[in-house]
Amino acid sequence: MIDQLIASMLGTLAFVILFNAPRKEYFFSSANGALGWLAYLLFMEWGAGVVIASLGATVILTIMARILSALRRCPVTIFLVTGIFTLVPGAGIYYTAYFLLMNDLVSSTAKGIETFKVAGAIVLGIVFGFAVPQSWFNRLGRKEKHVGK
Amino acid sequence: MEGNQKVLKLAVSVGETLLLSGGEIYRVQETVERILEAYGMEDYHVFVVSNGIFATVDEEGESRGSMVRNVPLGSVHLGRIAAVNQLSREICSHSCTVEEAYQRLQDCQKLPEPGMLAKTLAAGMGCAAFGYIFGGQFVECLLSFVLGMLLQIFLMQAGRIKMSKFMVNILGSAAVTVVSFALSALGMKFMQDKVVIGSIVLLVPGVLLTTGIRELFNGDYLSGSIHLADALMTAACIAVGVGAAVKLVQLFGGAGL
Repeated sequence: MIDQLIASMLGTLAFVILFNAPRKEYFFSSANGALGWLAYLLFMEWGAGVVIASLGATVILTIMARILSALRRCPVTIFLVTGIFTLVPGAGIYYTAYFLLMNDLVSSTAKGIETFKVAGAIVLGIVFGFAVPQSWFNRLGRKEKHVGK
Repeated sequence: MEGNQKVLKLAVSVGETLLLSGGEIYRVQETVERILEAYGMEDYHVFVVSNGIFATVDEEGESRGSMVRNVPLGSVHLGRIAAVNQLSREICSHSCTVEEAYQRLQDCQKLPEPGMLAKTLAAGMGCAAFGYIFGGQFVECLLSFVLGMLLQIFLMQAGRIKMSKFMVNILGSAAVTVVSFALSALGMKFMQDKVVIGSIVLLVPGVLLTTGIRELFNGDYLSGSIHLADALMTAACIAVGVGAAVKLVQLFGGAGL
């Protein structure tokens, strides 16, 4: 589990660097990516299945991104788009194309539909994550500001 | 009149910088509107889509200026979004004049990027990490690391000669797949799929997908569908590239199959 966490953190960090995120947010962005992956793994261990695990992990990732955005006073995009990469079904795209060309239509269709379902789960996860009212997060930001002063 | 034009130009330029760096539509719209308001404009209209900004300012029912900017889909620069966000906050708290703000905006635009070497190494590290996450062992990570770096170099070169995005994705994913098949044909023992999956993570349209969804659910249907269509096309191109490579290797009788 620890090794998976470190790997997901490094993987997210790579995108944080590639997308020129501000240097002081390097740690928080990559930690958020690792949190998303940890949530995914825990959901999977719990027996939730790929789709529900992606959904749950995306919700947690999105809410955490919004908390970080309020605390660090930084646009939420910075924490969200980098963290999401561990969950985006890149492998699904590969297997779908591979099996299709291998003429293994059963596996290809199964993988293709699963990829679409995971993409849909990520969509819903982000939507649910943003359904939490912004005022809750604003309170966090204000608290931080007073502490800062 | 002069002043209005200046403020409008500042507001739209700030919006343009945000949009070009990958900011969300609602953020761009809100920022432009808030800047106009901060400098005392009351009657204004702003319309932002994923590749353009339109804005007009009226005063006492008469037009005092309008501006249209065409903003091509650019590369993501999160640092710039954060810097411009900070700038617009300061403008809204009335702590900077129009000229100062314009100067600050130019500083934001010139924000340094990590060097080519740093980016290449970061890409390699990312690919290795993703190779590991998806179940690779040491050999797979090492190969993903090398392939990821090569892919990043290819991406940067392709960006320099302004190669079409579709070709970049097709060629990139095809090249990674062919190389990994070639290596296993040469007798190397490794899980070939993990290596490819680790490396093509660099091409996966994560940002487009995320921004597209958020825009769609913010009611910006036009921009949201543009971004989602872009994401879908990118995914399709990756699939085509992988597929073409697999077929090619099959035709030439690759051993790794």
